[in-house]
Amino acid sequence: MSPEPEKKKETFDPERRKFLVTIGSTVIALGIGYALGYLTKPAEVIEKYTTVTETVTKTVTAPITPTPTPTIPGLSNVAARAVLGAKELVEKGIVPKGATLRILHVAGSKAQLEKAIELWNKYVPEIKVELVTMGTEPDVYTKAMSEAVTKTGAYDIITIFSTWLGDLVEAGLAKDITEYFTKYDPEYVGPCAPIEPLGSYTTLYKGRRYALTLDSDVFTLTYRKDLLNDPRYKEEFRASYGYELKVPDTWEQVIDIAEFFTEKRLTSPRGGRVWGAYFYAEPAFAAYISWTNIFLEAGGILFDLNTMDPKVDSPEGRYAFDILLKLKPYMPPEAISAAWADLYDKYIHGESVLTAAWPSLTKMAISSPDSVVKEVTGTALMPGVELEIGGVKTLIRASPNPVNWVGIVSNYGKYPEASYLFLQFMTAPDTGLEVILAGVILDLFRECWFTDPEYKAKSIEGYGREFVEAYLESIKISYPDFIIRGGPEYASKLTTAVNAVLAGTLDPETALSNVASDWDSITKKYGVDAQLEAWRALAQLFPEDIKKAWRAKGYMR
Amino acid sequence: MPERPPRSIKILATLPLNILLNGVLIVPFAIMIYLAFVKWSPLMGINWWEAPFIAISNFQRALSDSRFISALSRTALFVSVVVPLEFILGLVVAYILQSEFIGKKYLVALLIYPLMLPPVVVATVFYLFFQPYGPVNNIFLYYIMGKRALDIYWFLDPTLALVTIIIADVWQWTPFMFLILYSGLSAVPKRLVEAAEVLGASKWRIFWTIRLPLIKPLILIALVLRSLEALKVFDYVYVMTGGGPGTATESISLYIYRLAILYQDISYAAAVSIIVLLIIMIISRVAIYFFIEKR
Repeated sequence: MSPEPEKKKETFDPERRKFLVTIGSTVIALGIGYALGYLTKPAEVIEKYTTVTETVTKTVTAPITPTPTPTIPGLSNVAARAVLGAKELVEKGIVPKGATLRILHVAGSKAQLEKAIELWNKYVPEIKVELVTMGTEPDVYTKAMSEAVTKTGAYDIITIFSTWLGDLVEAGLAKDITEYFTKYDPEYVGPCAPIEPLGSYTTLYKGRRYALTLDSDVFTLTYRKDLLNDPRYKEEFRASYGYELKVPDTWEQVIDIAEFFTEKRLTSPRGGRVWGAYFYAEPAFAAYISWTNIFLEAGGILFDLNTMDPKVDSPEGRYAFDILLKLKPYMPPEAISAAWADLYDKYIHGESVLTAAWPSLTKMAISSPDSVVKEVTGTALMPGVELEIGGVKTLIRASPNPVNWVGIVSNYGKYPEASYLFLQFMTAPDTGLEVILAGVILDLFRECWFTDPEYKAKSIEGYGREFVEAYLESIKISYPDFIIRGGPEYASKLTTAVNAVLAGTLDPETALSNVASDWDSITKKYGVDAQLEAWRALAQLFPEDIKKAWRAKGYMR
Repeated sequence: MPERPPRSIKILATLPLNILLNGVLIVPFAIMIYLAFVKWSPLMGINWWEAPFIAISNFQRALSDSRFISALSRTALFVSVVVPLEFILGLVVAYILQSEFIGKKYLVALLIYPLMLPPVVVATVFYLFFQPYGPVNNIFLYYIMGKRALDIYWFLDPTLALVTIIIADVWQWTPFMFLILYSGLSAVPKRLVEAAEVLGASKWRIFWTIRLPLIKPLILIALVLRSLEALKVFDYVYVMTGGGPGTATESISLYIYRLAILYQDISYAAAVSIIVLLIIMIISRVAIYFFIEKR
């Protein structure tokens, strides 16, 4: 090695090193500074949020008269108020002309939201609306929770399951829209209001309004009219069971009918076996629906209204399992193992006699090219449980309303008022029905869509007359999902237990005890008092018949 | 000889990559460790750095969480079944394909085809295969058992459900073992094999005493890599059984996913992840020590 390079190194290295160290330190300092800046930013957001909350509280305590509505030809008052409100925001410069609202939603609702945007663009071209589409429902939940943590303001509106409302409110993402609700009046009372109790329980949380309902997901009993009305079967059934074969009123009757038709060993047109019944018992998410339905109709209450103790490990809980286990031999085994959509597949191919699902089942049964039950699908109220209340035998009937899409306004979006107005516009009596009839995910929820002759004719076109008539009554007896913080977790633990019992891997007593213990842990995780407040508010929104049973059993005052 | 660049230049040159790696790997990992010692969920309505410190409570909770222990044991069982199965099948196929025949190139390409499929696609296909009227019951088993085959409900029985997941995994990942072992066996010097043959050694003896010892390092790498991958099994369980019936086929990855995503129990999920990570690290270290370093 020659000595020259060594010398060179000695001469130049210290200075270059100094230069490099300075540059490096500057870059690192900038990085640390940026990180610190980023970390401290959300704290400012919280401060702002607190101020807004205080303002809202003051506003709603004073009576506010709804904005007078000049008419817009071809639009209902609800939609007109939304349009005029949005235009005013642009005129006042609160929302710049050409601003874009972004909606996070699930792919299945794309057609319906596109219809809503198409209608909105006709009247409010100044504010654009863009869809951010997610593949599946859990994707929407994950994105929404990420947004709650990162607070990027990437979405202005999010369409969510009502089940998630408690989570998203508590996480700070769902904006309290009570003020806008009062100011622009989306008509939640009156002849065209969303049907109660659904209109309230899907949109209120701890007494405040956080969402507008976009949908109804109420279960109905769907049955094969041709089989239940067949004179031959009627005669045989009477001879075997001692009463008339008809649409079942109780779960006990469901068991008899399911047994009767399963034992007949009928074959469907595609060669599969026809089963007497198919109610959800699958492991991914739906098993809790069937169990909770029977449990509530039997007078069970999910949590104690004074202590928030889980009340599932109770006679009503065991009764619900008893019914489901009696039904199990008459249901296809896939009811326990397959995904939820299997119920749809089996029914439209004529492989189940009695079943229960979302309104889309009827839509599919009467309109799918694959359906073999187009002309023979009947719809009725869910079966009930007979209870003795005040010495009188009373049939308690209730319908699950699992998931139910609602729209929330993000606390971190740039234009919350305009976002609210879009939601009001797309759920108005006239535009709302057009949106619903444009796809399959969102379903009927306003009363006039069932009663007003003009609207009703359109509804019947989409769903069939018999369904529309039975569905109105079903919504009136519908009950909410677990719309409290941790709702998806409570439901998931129950689903796992119900599925395990029906699969035979767990006995009902152990399952109920496990669920009670798991639920208790969830409650404690979020704090008993906070959960109790939410549960008490929600319990008040359950249908009257269920509350009557709770009062009779001393669960509610 | 060219002059070596000074250390500072090296540091500056790698700075962007270091910042990126630190940002992408180290910072999130550090946050995960932090979260494991606090009580935090987005549903609490507070920022993660404001969460209360609870020391090792999350870890204590995990040790008394029967669902966590079951998921972990089940995953261990899964790994201990699929990895040896895939290894043996891969080795047999790799050995058979050492001989030359027409179309061998195409056959090798075909054999590694499952590796190119996303696991979620494989899971969906196998889910359909194992339906009561799917090809497994209706074609394969029908010839053996007749109509009784149609009464087999694979996803209703905890053991059978686990078997379906194992079959799907073995189908997709045996080619991985095959690929490594095939390349190893192909690289064994022919002269050694030929010399043994001249001396009258049987094929079995040649395989056992010459070929296998020579590819031992490759075998160990294949086993370690595959075991680590199998421990993370998620797609097949999620798609084929959803962890059911009940939680009978729930893997540790699916359980952590549910904790973090469905239940939003982030800090507990972080603690559970760290426990799993530690277990994997210890097992890998022990395996590397015994099978590689010690020899």
